[in-house]
Amino acid sequence: MLCDPGSKAGRRYLYRLIPMSVVYIAVVYLSKWSFRHFHPTGLVVYLLAILPALPMVGSLAIVGLYVAEETDEFERSILVRSILWGLAAALAISSIWGTLEDFAQARHLSSFLSYLSFWIVMAISGVIIRLRYR
Amino acid sequence: MKNRLRILRAERSWSQADLAQRLEVSRQSVNAIETGKFDPSLPLAFKLARLFNTSIETIFSDEE
Repeated sequence: MLCDPGSKAGRRYLYRLIPMSVVYIAVVYLSKWSFRHFHPTGLVVYLLAILPALPMVGSLAIVGLYVAEETDEFERSILVRSILWGLAAALAISSIWGTLEDFAQARHLSSFLSYLSFWIVMAISGVIIRLRYR
Repeated sequence: MKNRLRILRAERSWSQADLAQRLEVSRQSVNAIETGKFDPSLPLAFKLARLFNTSIETIFSDEE
């Protein structure tokens, strides 16, 4: 678990993140559906394309709020270290893949995967860090 | 950092969960401090000292 669900801040984090995840899924489907059925042009293309990114940015803000609101310094330290591992992994993966694309003609991957790798590594490192204190 | 938390807690027959509740932190936090794996901040150390009605130096020592 990335947060301490027993703390007020942990519960607020979950109450914010779960609806935001639902909004993200809804917006992704809405955007895809709109592109498929309305074939938008001009500015609407940009607006519809950027729409799914808004809840993604929002979820990062929710993580930031949790760091700011968690009063249990031990829990906060675990979260901050998990975030650092997630950020380091996201930057490392995108840097390595970027050079592979530039110099080895590797297949282009969406930069969205950086966001995904951030969350995956943050979750895994959170569990590993927590295990060290058992 | 070494500490006498386990002894002080035992003197009062408090579980880790009891102490965690009094400190408003998680039980894992108490366990991490007690086992010397996590050093508390100065405000939390003061809070511990007040709770046990003693000084910080009585609870913590800087021996490894």
